[in-house]
Amino acid sequence: MTWQPEADELARRRAFADALGGPEAIDRHHAQGRLTVRERIAGLVDAGSFQEVGKLTGKGTYEGGRLVKVVPAPYVMGLASIDGRPVAVGGEDFTVRGGTSWGSDRRKGGQGGFVEDLAHEYRIPLVNLIDGAGGSVTSATRRGYTVFPGVHGFERSVQLMAEVPVVCAVMGTAAGGPAGRAILAHWSVMVKGTSQVFAAGPPVVERSLGQKIDKEALGGAAVAVDMAGTIDNAADSEGDCFAMIRRYLSYMPQNVWELPPAVACDDPPDRREEALLTIVPRERRQPYNMRKLLGLVVDRDSTFEIQPTFGRAVITTLARLNGKVVGVIANNPMVNGGAMDVKAARKQAHFIQLCDTFHIPIVFLVDVPGFMVGQQAEQAATLREGMRSVYIALQATVPMLTVVIRKCYGMAGMGTTDKNGLDFKIAWPSAEWGSLPVEGGAAAAFKREIQAAPDPAAKLRELEAQLRELASPLLTAEAFAVEDVIDPRETRAYLCRFVDAMQGRLATTLGIKARAGVPP
Amino acid sequence: MATKEVRSEITGSVWKIVKQVGDSVGEEDALMILESMKMEIPVLAEATGKIAEIRVKEGEPVAEGQVLAVLES
Repeated sequence: MTWQPEADELARRRAFADALGGPEAIDRHHAQGRLTVRERIAGLVDAGSFQEVGKLTGKGTYEGGRLVKVVPAPYVMGLASIDGRPVAVGGEDFTVRGGTSWGSDRRKGGQGGFVEDLAHEYRIPLVNLIDGAGGSVTSATRRGYTVFPGVHGFERSVQLMAEVPVVCAVMGTAAGGPAGRAILAHWSVMVKGTSQVFAAGPPVVERSLGQKIDKEALGGAAVAVDMAGTIDNAADSEGDCFAMIRRYLSYMPQNVWELPPAVACDDPPDRREEALLTIVPRERRQPYNMRKLLGLVVDRDSTFEIQPTFGRAVITTLARLNGKVVGVIANNPMVNGGAMDVKAARKQAHFIQLCDTFHIPIVFLVDVPGFMVGQQAEQAATLREGMRSVYIALQATVPMLTVVIRKCYGMAGMGTTDKNGLDFKIAWPSAEWGSLPVEGGAAAAFKREIQAAPDPAAKLRELEAQLRELASPLLTAEAFAVEDVIDPRETRAYLCRFVDAMQGRLATTLGIKARAGVPP
Repeated sequence: MATKEVRSEITGSVWKIVKQVGDSVGEEDALMILESMKMEIPVLAEATGKIAEIRVKEGEPVAEGQVLAVLES
């Protein structure tokens, strides 16, 4: 007595699944410069760690009751590990019907699929490797009726955003549901040249609007990442994309009930960088390289920048201080003089919520003259989006540390402080602050006095000089209105000390973050 | 000979033009300095080359994405 015949049949059925859409479809897919979903999973996860679930799914063909072949379901998923930690991973198989959704008893992946339930129930990260166009009108002929939108709803996808890290990688052309699924992520990435993402692709656009546009111009990385910020980062190749996903997850806890992983740090926490003493020019009109500055402060080679090409007036990067994960938000004086525009505000708000959700302390390196001004900025609703980012900062409860490098003005400046917590602000000697800058501010506040003076221009200069004398950060420190002014070379040691000290607080306030109210 | 357009990454005005047509430039050399939000923002050459054209004058307003100069390499 043996079950060998059944074991043989299982092996045969698994071989059909391994064959995906067949050699010709695979060749066509490879010719587009793309890997198959099985190659992608193998490239992403720890070697040999993929335990597939649902490998028997598909449409079998039988002759006289005997199985002839199986066309596998166009979705491959299961449990794997990345750097030794379990993850739920899945992706559409483009070689079977272009990865369109397929009628099964239970969905494997995409919104509401098993792979999402796995991430939710086991509280492990979810990685979606997206390469599909979503629903197909052919499903109506199969069912005999059309389905209501949301039959496969996003409710689980939304729930996951409060619980576990969700990464979405757009690996091919994503439209419709899979494109929507790609957005519901804590971090998203796409591959330059071989992936595009849009609500609807070129044929629908042409029929709806008469616009003739190719898919790269409609939703390639230059649009979706650099211009729109629809997707966070762009990878140079699929291999680069997998390396980025692994790197991103290395900063993330498995879920919101755990602390982000600390690592052993061989970079001395008290390292003093002489370059920090000269990096900010004394001439306050001259900008400097904020990326270089922050790189000198955090653990060596520890940064992973989120949205590096979008909303460039602010830099948002994951990093480590003495091995502990931090989120750094640094204004970039090279773009808009660091002023917060709509894109920077949106990027900063998202990053604050990301850090707050996963209990990652935030370090602000501040050089912000305020919200962006001007006609374009007002037409783009900078004030509203800027206040939205301030609202989200004030709602966050994760500890924040503020280091004022140079300018800290107005509402955008206030949004860089931990008003709900310790409200701990340290400053470099180059720091200056106020409700608004002296330039412009003096002219408005002393308008009548200036106009009445025999030489109005000289009067304005005199008033500005008087006000600037009061602007020394040391005077504010005397009043303890800023908690400390430090030698720039002490920045790393100072921050490491306090980030170390807050670990106990972080460990005792884990869990899902409740957020009430309506952000503007 | 390949040419490359140097575009403004910001909205502002041209404060100072540092290099002239015909000058050779190295990567990261400043071609001109823009003024935006009361800051002097250098426009850097992305590659080594020679300046074929400068399309703006000092004091002129510039928009994000506007071509400022053309490099030959």
